[in-house]
Amino acid sequence: MADWEEVKRLAADFQKVQLTSTTQKLSERNCIEIVSWLIDRKMVDLIFTSDGKEYLTPTQLINEIKGELYDQGGRINLVELAKNIGVDLAHINAHLNEVLKGQKDIQHVLGQLIDHSYISRVAGEINEKLQQQGQISIGDLTIHYDLPAEFLQQIVDKNLGKVVFGKQDKNDPRIYYTESFIARTKAKIRGALAGLTRPTPVASILNQVDVNEKMFFSLFDQTCMYGTLTSRLPGAQYIPNVYARSQNEWVSNFYRQNGYLEYDALNRLGITDYKQYIKKQLVNEELHYLSSCIISKSILERVQADIDECIASKSYTDLQSNLPSVFNEKDIEMILNAALTNQQRQQILVIESYVISKAFVEKLADSCDELVKANAKATVESGKYQEYQISLHSSHLRSQKSDDADDKVDKREERRKKAASGKSGGGTQGRETKTRSTKKFNRGGNKNIAETDDDDDVQVKKMVLEVVAADEVRDSIQPLLEEESLDDLLEPLTAHLFPKLNEKGLEAAASIYVATVADRTANRRQTHNELQNKLNALIGDVRLFEKGTKLLPQDVQTQLVKYLLKSLCTDIVNEVLNYIAAEQNLGTKAETLNNDQKLKFVNELPSEFKTPLVQLVKSLSGQSIDDFMTTVEEALIPCSMILKKIDKKKDRTVVLNHKHQLLEQLNKCEDVALALHLATLAIFTTATHCMLHASGRHVTAILAFLKQYLTEEQANELTSYHDFVTLMLSGGSEVENAKEKLKEKLPVIKSIANEFKKAGSEK
Amino acid sequence: MVDEGTRQTLSKIPLLKTKAGPRDKELWVQRLKEEYQSLIKYVQNNKEADNDWFRLESNKEGTKWFGKCWYIHDLLKYEFDVEFDIPVTYPTTAPEIALPELDGKTAKMYRGGKICLSDHFKPLWARNVPKFGISHAMALGLGPWLAVEIPDLIAKGVISYKEKTG
Repeated sequence: MADWEEVKRLAADFQKVQLTSTTQKLSERNCIEIVSWLIDRKMVDLIFTSDGKEYLTPTQLINEIKGELYDQGGRINLVELAKNIGVDLAHINAHLNEVLKGQKDIQHVLGQLIDHSYISRVAGEINEKLQQQGQISIGDLTIHYDLPAEFLQQIVDKNLGKVVFGKQDKNDPRIYYTESFIARTKAKIRGALAGLTRPTPVASILNQVDVNEKMFFSLFDQTCMYGTLTSRLPGAQYIPNVYARSQNEWVSNFYRQNGYLEYDALNRLGITDYKQYIKKQLVNEELHYLSSCIISKSILERVQADIDECIASKSYTDLQSNLPSVFNEKDIEMILNAALTNQQRQQILVIESYVISKAFVEKLADSCDELVKANAKATVESGKYQEYQISLHSSHLRSQKSDDADDKVDKREERRKKAASGKSGGGTQGRETKTRSTKKFNRGGNKNIAETDDDDDVQVKKMVLEVVAADEVRDSIQPLLEEESLDDLLEPLTAHLFPKLNEKGLEAAASIYVATVADRTANRRQTHNELQNKLNALIGDVRLFEKGTKLLPQDVQTQLVKYLLKSLCTDIVNEVLNYIAAEQNLGTKAETLNNDQKLKFVNELPSEFKTPLVQLVKSLSGQSIDDFMTTVEEALIPCSMILKKIDKKKDRTVVLNHKHQLLEQLNKCEDVALALHLATLAIFTTATHCMLHASGRHVTAILAFLKQYLTEEQANELTSYHDFVTLMLSGGSEVENAKEKLKEKLPVIKSIANEFKKAGSEK
Repeated sequence: MVDEGTRQTLSKIPLLKTKAGPRDKELWVQRLKEEYQSLIKYVQNNKEADNDWFRLESNKEGTKWFGKCWYIHDLLKYEFDVEFDIPVTYPTTAPEIALPELDGKTAKMYRGGKICLSDHFKPLWARNVPKFGISHAMALGLGPWLAVEIPDLIAKGVISYKEKTG
């Protein structure tokens, strides 16, 4: 029954178990609640671990921090610390001060806790490193230890001479050396510098000797007696004294020998600051600084001498060839500026590197004189000059109109130019001139001037009439220049001479023009007078002829009037028209025009001439001499001519003269028909004391009229002669016969006419 | 199935080995011993977890069991008598636990105050014969039933808090 015993025992156990008071266990939740309640009430001071399952008292935390620090060998990051302890970082930070307060040898650096043991260990390490490498910089240490530079500096400074054996760099407190290292470096630098004979960039020296730049510069002064540095910058050059000395020697020798010194040459020698250098090197010399070199006074004097000689010999000199070849154009220009006196300047002309005496230029200009004169004359004669004057004048007028405000004469010229260059352009005439001259300019190859000058100037120049073409100038000076082998200067000299010559040409043209104008006005006055006299005479003749005409029967009269109008009156009109045409500068010849053309011509004339002349021309085709006379008088008024008053005495002499003329002609005359005509007229004049203007056709009528004055015999002679003449003129078989007869009778007729004169005078 | 808490509790209760009913003389003793050991362990567990919720004792033969169970609701302890017999066919058949006080007060109860166990209980038990014993029946059967029914009954006002008598 042991089993039952056992059951009983178990039952008892069971009861016992059931009766034992339940362990009053709090659930976790409750615990947390209670604890937080307590913390809330500030009844306990506890710190939660980060997982929230544990609490720490602050003292425990401090202890743990210290423990961790020790564990980690004296240096621990706060974040790491927080992780290791399992507390929030905030708590660590909060209690950090207590830790630090408690122990003086613990430091808080950059979120890390570091204690004394660590510091001394670091100091030891630094020393080891320093001994190994010879130099050490705080910068490197910061990287290595990941600690702030100041902190490390502090460590090193504190332990300098105790644990760390070295020397602080004076220039840079962050660098430490060992004595031996400095000595070694110095030796290296000294060796390198001593070996150099040429200027060398510091960078390449450093590369060779493997010394850092700062070190080099700080040790340089202590080590090197053999040369200088151009600067203390990394790009500096080291110049050995040996080199500098030889350089100086070369420079001064070169200068002594040649009298000049190129900057380029200095540059090649490695002297970059050449101005300073030259100042230092050539102290007592008189220097002239040019753009690419310096020159000594002697060169300058040489140039001056050259120029003097050039002026004296009235020739030219090429500086380029006389001076050392290194000088460029700018230099030469500067030399000239320095060398030339004002007086000399007036006597020479400088083109490129050539110095040309004015005399030489004059010579060239003289060679063109002929050309200029010829061209000037041609210009005036062709009328271009007049056109040019007109265009000048018109632009002048325009400018006056455009600006009435002030009319100062001295400004007028200026204004004219302005107006001429203005956009409005000249009139028709002006523009023509302009375009023509532009063409010439371009062809003349005078581009130098045109291009270098401003637009305004070009415009003004274009306005100037080109008397001489640039080409011509060039051609005329070319042979002279070729002789001197100055071909290079052909263009510039042409450019230089051309405007002057043109000016000269214009002047010449002006004087020629003035001369011709003077001639012409004198001529005109004379011709005017002559014409006036001639017209007066003609008109007087007409008047007298008319008077004679009136003696004849009516039917003959009209024929004669018509003839008179056709011949003499037409001559008068022609004279008048010619005169007017000349006045108006028109080339018309009135003789070549028929009546209609004359009318047309007259209609184109200005109104002052037009009205009276139209009348005059019309009267030619009329029937009346009176009409003609009145219109002639009117027509002559605008021509500023006056008809003389009728003078009877004069008339008589005129008639007598006329008669004598007729008789003279008659006596000389061999032509049988003309003789009759002349004889008839002469007899008429003598008989009536009136002149008659008639053609051969009217002879019959006149003879009929004359019968009353003639004797029977005379009348018969004349009629028979007349019959033979008509027979001869009508042609036919008896022409020869008639001619014979007429020749026989010719002296008779002549004598009748002459005698009749006597008879008439006897009457 | 059973909730997580129950499952955990269950896993901590030692399983039984002997398959024997009250009629199997020697083996029943054996079984009874195992029952007791299991119960002791269960109670100990409960006490450790501050989750003691019943008292049990049996007759001498271990066929009749009685005691008290309680449920704490709103900081008030509701205490009930509990009793049950070990069936003849035990352990194949599970014991029918009864709360006579509550007879007729809830639908989830058979005549005589036997509690109506969940559908899961029986198959679970059947699967685990003979490993489950009285302690399992308490943990799986009565425990969950109380947890579900008592708050309900209190809410309905069917039972009310009585000042503890003993």
